Amino acid sequence: MTDADTPLIECRNVWKVFGERAREAIASIRERHLGKREVLTEFGCVVGVHDASFALKKGEIFCIMGLSGSGKSTLLRLLNRLIEPSLGEVLVKGRAINGLGKTELRDLRARTIGMVFQNVALIPTRTVLENAAFGLEVQGIPAAERRRIATDALARVGLGDWLDRYPRELSGGMQQRVGLARAIAADPEIILMDEPFSALDPLIRRQLQDEFRALTKSLGKSAVFITHDLDEAIRIGDRIAIMKDGAMIQVGTAEEIVMNPADQYVADFVAGISRIHLVKAGSVMMPPADFTDAPTAALEQTGLDADIDALIHLVLASPHGAVAVSEDGDLRGVVTARTLLEGLKGDHAPVAGAA
Amino acid sequence: MDLTDFIKDFDKTIDSAMSWATDHGGLLFDLVRAALEGFFDLVTSGLLLLPYWAVALVAGAIAARSLGWKAGIATAAGLTFCQMMDLWSETVETMCLVLVSVLLAILIGAPLGILAGYRPRLSQSIDPVLDLIQTLPPYIYLLPSIAFLGYGPATAIAATVIVSVPPVIRLVAHGFRSTPVEFVELGEATGTAPRDAFLKIRLPFALPSIMAGVNQSLMMAFGMVVIAGIVGSGGLGETIYGAVRKLDIALSVNAAIAIVILTIIIDRISQSAATHRRPA
Repeated sequence: MTDADTPLIECRNVWKVFGERAREAIASIRERHLGKREVLTEFGCVVGVHDASFALKKGEIFCIMGLSGSGKSTLLRLLNRLIEPSLGEVLVKGRAINGLGKTELRDLRARTIGMVFQNVALIPTRTVLENAAFGLEVQGIPAAERRRIATDALARVGLGDWLDRYPRELSGGMQQRVGLARAIAADPEIILMDEPFSALDPLIRRQLQDEFRALTKSLGKSAVFITHDLDEAIRIGDRIAIMKDGAMIQVGTAEEIVMNPADQYVADFVAGISRIHLVKAGSVMMPPADFTDAPTAALEQTGLDADIDALIHLVLASPHGAVAVSEDGDLRGVVTARTLLEGLKGDHAPVAGAA
Repeated sequence: MDLTDFIKDFDKTIDSAMSWATDHGGLLFDLVRAALEGFFDLVTSGLLLLPYWAVALVAGAIAARSLGWKAGIATAAGLTFCQMMDLWSETVETMCLVLVSVLLAILIGAPLGILAGYRPRLSQSIDPVLDLIQTLPPYIYLLPSIAFLGYGPATAIAATVIVSVPPVIRLVAHGFRSTPVEFVELGEATGTAPRDAFLKIRLPFALPSIMAGVNQSLMMAFGMVVIAGIVGSGGLGETIYGAVRKLDIALSVNAAIAIVILTIIIDRISQSAATHRRPA
């Protein structure tokens, strides 16, 4: 396996059990493969994370979505060992972090994994600049250099004019930008985001979501992003994991999850999600044989990934009201105004092979 | 069951332990006494070298800086009034007794408080002791002090340190215990070394509580320093004690006024230090 293929973070069958008899519970889980409920009734222990496995790829934003109590914050803290796993292992850049000594662990947290908190945690007696430079300061970087780096990070989040203000003078959204600047100032490869935008009002939240995604991508960072808001997960995440009762019940792209929910729980969640921006040609086309209005050769061609805007444009422009979908020159299906509407409504049966 | 014998035995044991300690620890107690008195005399005679108006001006300036110019003028006027009542040296002695005692209380209490703040277990075992110290009538502490250290300011300081240590320990511990959990996590997640986490995260949050502890400690010390007039502490406490014995009501009222002036000045100045440092 080459370096580029090694996942930045890999979680292998990680469990976290809370309670006085956690050790016994873990032994039984290992031997008898007990589930969450059995652990609670037999040992009185609460399972925080239930056999979670996933990998964070380089350059990816991985969202973990779940309601409160689903174990998502616990899982996030297992990734930089703020919480020790009860069972299973976490690998960062191919190295198991369970065995790291104090200094190595500090080094990992200081250089490789940054973290942004829901309540921001800006130190009230420090200025914006001093807060943004905090991580560098405790790493022992000289004052002039950390000032330069932190100033640059603050400029990136649009706070270049606020360096000498105090946190209390900033709005919630601005404070969270300082939190983000503090995380990126240390230049970590991975950023852990613990529901950072949950407390903000909707308009600011959307703005920050877009900025965060753009910034992460432009800096080439990877992120694990915790949220209880599926809309947010879809907006930000390259992939999304849905957590319930400590377990990951589905992992996939936004489109996969919305179009093919794994179970009723996920289905209920995605029921309220607008499908409009997830619709791709591949998921709303009908088989070519069903299209009889015109020879398919006469239609405009598009790819499986064409999005809703492109499809509407093509369908409206076509004299036959349809567009052909092909992949590598093979005709795969046809999208018409009717199939588009059915796809948006949600009970359109996708053609076999399409996502 | 008859406990009389048992209690008699117990009392005897305590008595003999006390005399054993005075017999064998003589050198140690002499040293403690010399150190306390030496320190106290040094500070007091140093302050008394200055003319009263210089002290009043400096105190007024400090009050003006932390509380505003009105408080500055009131402070200088209050201290001048103490001089006019012909109680200047007693006022300075009392102030020094309080400051020296509280300084020692901080030196003893702050490290214990920090430990207790980091370790809830330790806190649990210290708390009953502090409760006991604060429940007993304060003049109890004059007895062992006078037995070991004899008559004089050293005894007054020792007893005053005992009563002014508990608020320091309690509020320092509280300050370090109550760092918000997200800031503790911030320290861990940024790979902050324990020393930096202490200085840069916990200490700023603990400061208001620490200053409140110092303020309370000062107030406890003022209470004790007056009582300690009985053991020849010097200062206003002894003036009041002597005046009460001679039924010199006028003098005891004057001394009481001087104590009130001094207490208010030190209370307000130390309180403003506590509130000014509170992170908003």
